[in-house]
Amino acid sequence: MPVRAQFENSNDIGVFARLTNAYCLVGIGASENFYSVFQAELGNSIPLVRTTIADTRIVGRMTVGNRHGLLLPNSTTDQEMQHIRNSLPDSVQITRLEERLSALGNVIACNDYVALVHPDIDRETEEIIIDTLKVEVFRQTVAGEVLVGAYCVLNNNGGLVHPNTSIEDQDELASLLQVPLLAGTVNRGSAVLGGGLIVNDWASFAGAITTPSESAVIDSVFQFQDSGHTSAVNDAWVRDSLIDSMN
Amino acid sequence: MSYNFKKIQVVPSSTDFVDIVLSKTQRKTPTVIHKGYAISRIRNFYIRKCKFSQQTFHDKLSQILADFPQLDDVHPFYGDLMNVLYDRDHYKLALGQINAARQQVDNIAKDYLRLLKYGDSLYRCKQLKRACLGRMCTLMARLKDTLAYLEQVRQHLARLPSIDPNTRTLLITGYPNVGKSSFMNKVTRADVEVQPYAFTTKSLFVGHMDYRYLRWQVIDSPGILDHPLEDRNTIEMQSITALAHLRCCVLFFIDVSEDCGYTLAQQVALFHSIRPLFTNKPVVLVLSKLDLMRYEQLSDEGKAQIQTCLDTGATMVEASTLTEEGVMDVKQTACDKLLAMRVENKLRNKKAEDITSRLHLAMPTKRDDVIRMPIRPEGEIVPYDPKDPNRVLLAKDYERMGGGAGVYNVDLRADYLLKNPEWKYDAIPEIWDGKNIIDFVDPDIEEKLLALEREEEALEAAGFYDEDEEIEDEELTAKRELAAQIRAKKDVLKQRNHIKAMSRRNKAPMPRTKTAVSATEFISTMRELGLDITDVNGGERTSRRERSKRMRDGEEGGSDAEMAVDTDGPAGGPAKRSRSMVRSESRARSLSMPREPSAMGLRDSRQVLLAANQISQSQRRLKTDGRRGEADRHIPTNMPRHMFSGKRKQGTNDRR
Repeated sequence: MPVRAQFENSNDIGVFARLTNAYCLVGIGASENFYSVFQAELGNSIPLVRTTIADTRIVGRMTVGNRHGLLLPNSTTDQEMQHIRNSLPDSVQITRLEERLSALGNVIACNDYVALVHPDIDRETEEIIIDTLKVEVFRQTVAGEVLVGAYCVLNNNGGLVHPNTSIEDQDELASLLQVPLLAGTVNRGSAVLGGGLIVNDWASFAGAITTPSESAVIDSVFQFQDSGHTSAVNDAWVRDSLIDSMN
Repeated sequence: MSYNFKKIQVVPSSTDFVDIVLSKTQRKTPTVIHKGYAISRIRNFYIRKCKFSQQTFHDKLSQILADFPQLDDVHPFYGDLMNVLYDRDHYKLALGQINAARQQVDNIAKDYLRLLKYGDSLYRCKQLKRACLGRMCTLMARLKDTLAYLEQVRQHLARLPSIDPNTRTLLITGYPNVGKSSFMNKVTRADVEVQPYAFTTKSLFVGHMDYRYLRWQVIDSPGILDHPLEDRNTIEMQSITALAHLRCCVLFFIDVSEDCGYTLAQQVALFHSIRPLFTNKPVVLVLSKLDLMRYEQLSDEGKAQIQTCLDTGATMVEASTLTEEGVMDVKQTACDKLLAMRVENKLRNKKAEDITSRLHLAMPTKRDDVIRMPIRPEGEIVPYDPKDPNRVLLAKDYERMGGGAGVYNVDLRADYLLKNPEWKYDAIPEIWDGKNIIDFVDPDIEEKLLALEREEEALEAAGFYDEDEEIEDEELTAKRELAAQIRAKKDVLKQRNHIKAMSRRNKAPMPRTKTAVSATEFISTMRELGLDITDVNGGERTSRRERSKRMRDGEEGGSDAEMAVDTDGPAGGPAKRSRSMVRSESRARSLSMPREPSAMGLRDSRQVLLAANQISQSQRRLKTDGRRGEADRHIPTNMPRHMFSGKRKQGTNDRR
């Protein structure tokens, strides 16, 4: 089950944190509660960094990264960049992008091997993404939405996409990403998955109002359940509940 | 759609209603009026009062009409429930009366406003207002019972359980005393009252439970007896309403031990008599009080009777709320049956396509031979246990110890991963020698610099920077000199202007015509500009000739040369200043004539005429109307009454 969390009464926790397999960036809030959720779940496995990006707390939407690197928007201040550099291991390459679409978390969705990017992103940016994150890059939309980072959440095991994605699109995306995909929601039917969900390969966090059936889907597609790799939608037990909870 | 009847505003009693409106009128409208005022003012004063009361009555009554649910608009379950509890006719009548009263108030106000327009004294107007408000209040007094009824309905509605008619629902029903409420208490946390007498539960109760990742609504209904619908009382009717309108799974409780005081035959008869309400609903027959008697222990006759129920499609489950045996079976059977039915219905309707796309697990087709393995965390993650006394302290624990949020300050540098931990707190300047440090922070900066230098050397060696000596011709040299001159001049001008600006700091800006320029300065300036003007009209002497005279003559007009130089000289045109030929030079000064004030700032006599014409044109209207203007003499009241009448702080005025 994903850990349910809130950032100062907001269930869109994906806005305020960026989790990868090598590090976790957390926005600086008024209290330590949000940070402690990650601390309790992740322990000392990866460095947790409290930071701001361009003096804002929305680090999850402004940055994107994976095990190999971290991309920061050009509005990141030098001090923030230095702080992040000092806090992350040297194996993580940090690059500040001169990209017009500065909410990188919204325009890029990636795991450690592949990335989906907004179709209008710079060619230069695309090359930097390839070099820094060491991924294959595909310009794609998800359910007709260009903000792939907001409507798609990935880890190396699987991915969740916008609930309105057609079956053909899902199959195509799955083949590009080389992971199984499911269409789903978080936070009681919200399609903005990037806002409500934070995952890496061994931990997941979802907004506090996420329903149990949504959690079951999240668990099954990101494969946190060790009981075989049965998908929620193939398991009649979960499947019926899922259908009934959809509206 | 969910129903919330808790937001209906309080309905005041009729006396309170009148008090509220009248005092609001008193508070929100002007209160001081004198009979000496203009009659239109007096009328307006009272018209306003009547209109305001009418509006307040109207708003308050409309609020009631808007708040109370219309029986035809709500879900039929709530519609029927309200019919059972409050009587549909009574309810509709009450709302109808409120609506009628609203219209009557409007009509009364309309009539009296019309009358007030003909009020000819303060007294009459006041009487009309009194009559108007009085009639409105009488109207309200007549609504006394209606308002009281509506207030009771409101209080009851607010206390109704918030049942969602469309969600997954288990409805518990059966004879009184068969163990419905105790089952409810076992599966939910509703904490319904359980007593060993009939009709302990007098209304619907709702509880919630979780099963199969979903939330279920469990409704406990009052027991029902087996008699015709007309004979059922209000309590039973609530159960019937719920059975009739909710799409739910029915749990029909049967006490086979007959401990409830009703025989098995009676209970089975009830099942059959209310069976029409079970159509299209999954039904579970719960044999309660398993601890007292099991199904196997039943006589053959009893078994046969129960079999008649099972033949209708119901599922039988035994349970005991005392030993909790079978309770979970009941819950699971009921929920599974209902869920299966709901899913089947859902997949049958139109929205099924949206759902199927969400039930599709898209598996990737292999496109290359790269293996993309998931990452495992380094080391084992110890699950955090908040109850463990030896647990690792989290940031929020430190925060609490450090004075709580807002007081505690996080050390952001504590977790830095640096080669030497002592460097963590080093102060690093952001700017050094005018350069931003971060621009130079690059692990490969040395190599890059070396590479650049090497490239530079290579370019130099290849002769990239060698310049071809160009021979400049004379023209170019001249241009260069000129440019240098211009630049130097510009600098001088700039500095001079600066000095001027500084010295002018506290002085009023003067128009250009008033700034004195000495002749020598002028000449030198012109010389610098390449114009030689010494040689015209007798040389520099002319310059000291005279101050200009303002001649009224149009042709002579513009001799305003403060600098008193004949600038037309160098141009070689015909001399304009013929006057200097006519008059002797020595008389010039005495002939200086001041202009008439009205002609100041005008170029010539023609313009003066034009201006005068325009003035008279623009003033024509004012003059014919004879209006008062700002230029007219005006004496304001020299003893304003408000300042000289009434009581004084020190003693009283003799008027009172």
